[in-house]
Amino acid sequence: MIGFAVLFIVIAISRVEILSVDEYYLTHIDDIKKDSEVITVSIRCDTILNNMDKLAPELRDEKYVPRDGIILEESQYVLRSGDTVFDILNRAVRYNKIHMEYQGERDNAYGSAYIRGINHLYEYSCGPLSGWMYKVNGEFPGKGISKYKLKDEDKVEFVYTCDLGRDVGGSFYSERN
Amino acid sequence: MGRFESLHPLVIFLYYVIVLFVTMFTNHPIVLLCALTGGIAFSGTLSTGRQLLSDIGVYLLLFILLSLANPLFTHNGETVLFFMNDNPITKEALIYGEFIAVMLIAVIFWSKCLSQIMTTDKVIFLFGRVVPKLSLILTMALRFIPLFKRQTIVINNSQKTMGLYAADNIPDQIRGVVRVFDSLIGWSIENSLETAEAMKARGYGLPDRSAFSIFSIRRSDLMMFGFMALFLLLFFAGKGAGLLIFQYYPTLGQINYSGEAVGLYALTALFMFFPSIIEIMEKLKWKYLESKI
Repeated sequence: MIGFAVLFIVIAISRVEILSVDEYYLTHIDDIKKDSEVITVSIRCDTILNNMDKLAPELRDEKYVPRDGIILEESQYVLRSGDTVFDILNRAVRYNKIHMEYQGERDNAYGSAYIRGINHLYEYSCGPLSGWMYKVNGEFPGKGISKYKLKDEDKVEFVYTCDLGRDVGGSFYSERN
Repeated sequence: MGRFESLHPLVIFLYYVIVLFVTMFTNHPIVLLCALTGGIAFSGTLSTGRQLLSDIGVYLLLFILLSLANPLFTHNGETVLFFMNDNPITKEALIYGEFIAVMLIAVIFWSKCLSQIMTTDKVIFLFGRVVPKLSLILTMALRFIPLFKRQTIVINNSQKTMGLYAADNIPDQIRGVVRVFDSLIGWSIENSLETAEAMKARGYGLPDRSAFSIFSIRRSDLMMFGFMALFLLLFFAGKGAGLLIFQYYPTLGQINYSGEAVGLYALTALFMFFPSIIEIMEKLKWKYLESKI
């Protein structure tokens, strides 16, 4: 009985990786050279600007919802081989010190990470149909964020929706119904 | 005014409903702290100091466990302490966890007091008409726990006097425990049969029976009733006016220290400490009268 408890604690601790704040944000991103493959990443939440009345009151601040709705401007990051959308996003937010919370790919049934919140804007923060979605080259892939492998010159956009994707041009839910 | 226990059962029951309701549906730190300290104080006046200390020790452990659990699952909040598996552990989540723990432990303490004060006759009196079968079954089932404890001691003692005990032999000890348990089961079956017979003999289930109760509504009950109504009115007026809004995420909010808010905190504290104040006043009165003999 005690043996099992000790074993459990050891396994639990061995899977924990603790980083200080400085270590976490000390992300190395590769310099863009002539021959390197690049990805464009942007994070926007401009749909909230039209739905301010639905937004949770504690988030009604320019710190969380910038006036122009741009959390991360379009910027280029080097694509490392085998990078998924999640890897690029994780590197970009760490490099720019933007808050992000996600559910790891091992923690859910879909085998893909799920973005709960970026810049303190969470799922359901702006009404019951709100949350983060992503586009690649202007299209919604309809795939988990760690299942989509990127290729050279892809353009990744993270957009906050207040209406299940309908307000950012997604048609997945309207097609299904 | 007499002891809190001597109030009308309906008043006591309503008081508890209000306390639990207020505790569970606010997350304002001052209200939660009032509820916790009020519950501990009342529990202290009902039990001995040593019992209270051991309770506080147990619940301190629970408090630490509960408050550490929240930051492991919630990563919202601006002040990052460190990163665990790439997810932030934040001060805000830790503090929110602490106040959730305060709320849970406050409810536990108040429930402990309730079970001591709401004796079975009061429960039957309150619910006997509304849900007669259920309240009877509940009071009888709850009665079995202390009854079994007492009977185990009795059987154990009688086994010892018969010389049937073992001090250092583990198989013998187990055999002894099994023997006690065996006779406890036999006794409980016999006891339930006797209870059924006794209930039948006293006319359980016959029509047109009246029930006797010693509870009547007195002036102090009416006063308490008025106090509770006033508290509820002011509390919800204050809550409606937004005096009790406290924000935990993404940054901790400021506690409202305006005149009205402080008045509301004081009223809440008075309400939560009311039973302990009554008990302490009664004890002081008793001491004073005793000293005059």
